[in-house]
Amino acid sequence: MRTIRTIRSLSKLILSLAIPSMLWACTPTSTPVSSESSDPTAPTPETTATDAVGELEIRANGEDFVRQGFETRDGWQINFDQLYVTLAAVTAYQSDPPFDAEAGGLPIAQTTVSLEDPVTVDLAAGEATADPILVGTVTAPAGRYNALSWKMVPATADPATGQTLWMQGTATKDDRRIDFIIKLNPTLGFVCGDYVGDDRKGFLDADGTADLEATFHFDHLFGDGEAPPEDEINTGALGFDPLAAIAEGNTLDLDQAGLEAQLSPADYDRLMGILPSLGHVGEGHCEETELARS
Amino acid sequence: MEPLTLKRQGTPGYWISGVLCSSLLAIPSAAQAHGAHIQSRNTPAIEIQAHYDSGQPMAEAQVQVFAPNDLQTPLLRGLTDGEGRFLFVPDQPGDWEISVRQAGHGDIAVVPVTLEGTVTPDYNNSGELTPVQRGVVAAAVIWGFVGTALFFRRGKP
Repeated sequence: MRTIRTIRSLSKLILSLAIPSMLWACTPTSTPVSSESSDPTAPTPETTATDAVGELEIRANGEDFVRQGFETRDGWQINFDQLYVTLAAVTAYQSDPPFDAEAGGLPIAQTTVSLEDPVTVDLAAGEATADPILVGTVTAPAGRYNALSWKMVPATADPATGQTLWMQGTATKDDRRIDFIIKLNPTLGFVCGDYVGDDRKGFLDADGTADLEATFHFDHLFGDGEAPPEDEINTGALGFDPLAAIAEGNTLDLDQAGLEAQLSPADYDRLMGILPSLGHVGEGHCEETELARS
Repeated sequence: MEPLTLKRQGTPGYWISGVLCSSLLAIPSAAQAHGAHIQSRNTPAIEIQAHYDSGQPMAEAQVQVFAPNDLQTPLLRGLTDGEGRFLFVPDQPGDWEISVRQAGHGDIAVVPVTLEGTVTPDYNNSGELTPVQRGVVAAAVIWGFVGTALFFRRGKP
C-alpha cells in the first residue's frame, strides 16, 4: 500500500509540474486562436479585468490605386468602376506577444473580436479621396488590437455572387480602350500583425472608437507605371498587356475558368501567384494561409 | 516583409547623430556670450537595420520610434542610412516599437529594452525559439508524457 501511495503522490507531483510546464513552453509558437478552429461567430471571450468596451471599426482600403486609378507597368491607365471583395471571418486580436506575420503561425491572444457574417464591399466606392470602406463595427473590450486576420471568399449574394474578387473598369492605352470585368473565385486567408502607416491603429479606449484596416495592394497585380521597370513591384506584376491580348475587341469579361483557358499558363500562374500578396495592413505584409497552401 | 535586424552597441565618443545632438549640446553656466561647446560621452544605443526580402537595404527609409509610455506618438522620426540602419538611444525600459517604411512597404519591430538601455539579452527578433527555449519545450513535453502515463497507470482504490 505504501508503494502505491508513493506512486500516486509521485504521479500527482509530476502532473502538477508537467502541465504548467507544457503550457508555458508552448506559448512562443502555439496558436490558441485559430481562424480554422475558432468560430468567428462565437461570442467574444471574457478577456479583460474590467468591462470597459469601445467600438472597433474594421475598414477595407484599396488605396489610391483603386479610388483614383493608376498606370500599370506596361502603360495602361486603369480606372475601376467597381471592385468588389468579400471578407469573412474578420478577426481582430490583442496579440501578446506582438504577431510577426513573417514568422508565420497565428496571433497568440487572450482577447479577440470578430465580425459575424461575410461582408461584400466595393473598394472603388466614393470619391477619389474617400475614406476606406467600413466593413463593420464591433463592440470590443478596450485595449490594443495589434493583429488582424480575414478571409476572402466567394460572395453568396449580388452584386458579386460566386466571386471572391470582382474588378470592373476601363483600361486605356494610346487610342485603345477596353472595358473589363475580371472575376476570380479562390478562397484567400490573410493573417497580419500591426498596422504600418502614417498613423497607428487599433488603440481602443473605453467608450472610444478605433479602427483597423485590411489593405489591398492592387499594384502588385498590375504594376506601377510610376516606379522604375526594374523595381520589384513591376518585375513581379502581371501588367495589363496579357489581359488586353485576350480581350474580344474592346471588351474583356472573363471569370477564373475563362482566364485559365485563355491566358498562357505562365501568365495564369503569375496571376494566381500574385493574389496571396494582395492583403496587407497598411504597408505591413501579411501571411496568406489558404491559396498559397492549396 | 522587411525584417528589422538589431545590433547592440556602445556608441563611440566621436559619433554624433541627429538623435543625440539635442542631448549632447550643453552650455556651461559661466559661458561667454555666443560661446558654444559640444560635449561627448559614451551611451548605450540601439541600432536597427532594415532590408527587403531580396536582401537589399531599405536605404533612406522613413523611421518612426515609439517609446513604451506612448506607442501612438512617435518620439523620434528620421531616415535610415544607405545600409538601412538607424540608431537611437532609449531613455526608458520597456517595449520600444520602431517602424520602417518605404515605397509602400514597411514593418514594425518591437524591441524590449532593459533598465540599462540595452536590448533584453534573450530577445530574439527572428521569431524562432532559442536553443534554451527548445530545450525547455522538449523537457516539458517529456514531463507531460511521463506524468500522463503514470497518472493513468495508478492503482484503483
